Amino acid sequence: MVAMSTRRSRNDIRGLAEPDVEAPKTARIEGDTAVFDAADLSPRQINLELRRLVYGEQIPEVTIENPGAKHSVAVGILTRCRITIDGSVGYFGATLGDGPEIHITGRVGWSVAENMMSGVTVIDKNAGSLTGAAMRGGDLVIRGHVGARTGIDQKGGTIIVGGNAGALTGFMMQRGRQIICGDAGPGMGDSMYDGAIYVGGAVASLGVDCVEAEMTPEDDELIDRKFRIYGMDRPASFRKFVCGKKLWNYDNLEPSERKLVL
Amino acid sequence: MSDLFDLSARHLTTRAGIDTEELTGRTFPYQFDRTLVDDVDLMAATPGEDLNWLEDIHLMSEDGIPAVFDRYTNAFLKIHFEIPPGREDEYARKVLIKHLQEGNSYGVWLKYRHAKFPQPELGSWLRNSPTVGENWTPPQLEGWEPPDGH
Repeated sequence: MVAMSTRRSRNDIRGLAEPDVEAPKTARIEGDTAVFDAADLSPRQINLELRRLVYGEQIPEVTIENPGAKHSVAVGILTRCRITIDGSVGYFGATLGDGPEIHITGRVGWSVAENMMSGVTVIDKNAGSLTGAAMRGGDLVIRGHVGARTGIDQKGGTIIVGGNAGALTGFMMQRGRQIICGDAGPGMGDSMYDGAIYVGGAVASLGVDCVEAEMTPEDDELIDRKFRIYGMDRPASFRKFVCGKKLWNYDNLEPSERKLVL
Repeated sequence: MSDLFDLSARHLTTRAGIDTEELTGRTFPYQFDRTLVDDVDLMAATPGEDLNWLEDIHLMSEDGIPAVFDRYTNAFLKIHFEIPPGREDEYARKVLIKHLQEGNSYGVWLKYRHAKFPQPELGSWLRNSPTVGENWTPPQLEGWEPPDGH
């Protein structure tokens, strides 16, 4: 195992920190599962070990013990696999994923699952601000509360919050869905272009161009299905909020700009 | 562009719309024959217990032709076969998954030359696909020299 104190701090031409560090190869592999202890590993070493297991060894189920609230853990995993992080992680955890199903048993810092393309990320406790920022697909479930600007610039996927959400939830949201079981802070849905936000509790105030809409049977089917999959208790009722379309300028945009939100 | 893929039939234009055929110079059989995608299992092809990211994929149109948007290329893939009414999104998703699993997405082709970090070529769509990005080298602009002092 390479101790954190021995790692180098330079970047290579790709912007990659610690370019000379190698996977510690400390995981205990039993059949289709692997477990490794991250207590003495840097985030780079944790991610290298994770990639070695899921890419190189084709291990479909990996558990990371003692993550120690380190930042940028389980980043950029581009294959189908199941990852359990037994504890809390810092900022930008489980980001840039395309395929993994990640379960974090503790809390997470800001920008968890940012830019997730597909997959499932479940957090058992609370999350910081910018949860699911720029997310493009998949399910992001936070069983506790979330901070401000949840799903900022969200372009797809479903964010489910078991507790309350902070200010500017769904800020500049462009597609996708958010299901907030508790209360939502001020400025919800500010400047959203598309998508839907469902709220089970109270909304402090709506942001610019966010309006209430009628729930449809399709909305109820979506909520029931997601709550069934993730074993969550559904609030008695939800209100739905969408874009009021006063700020819509799609027709004037170049086609390439329009595609950026697809 | 990767040497592995033949782009000799490609004719890029300056028109506003961009579709897969323009980028690759090719069409693919599953754009024309519905039976080639009938057996695509969407649930098996996506993570989790429902359609996951495919929930956001719908049948759209490009140049007046039904099309599905390939976000890995940022371009449309046109669908020329007749789609049964009420199954528009299902077939759009099946065509897209077939396209990705067969490695025909132009953005996936680009991985061979431009991926900076080792990763599975066909990502989450197909298990045990080759690894790309292991030997990335920075592109060199022919005839360019760094200015003095750099």
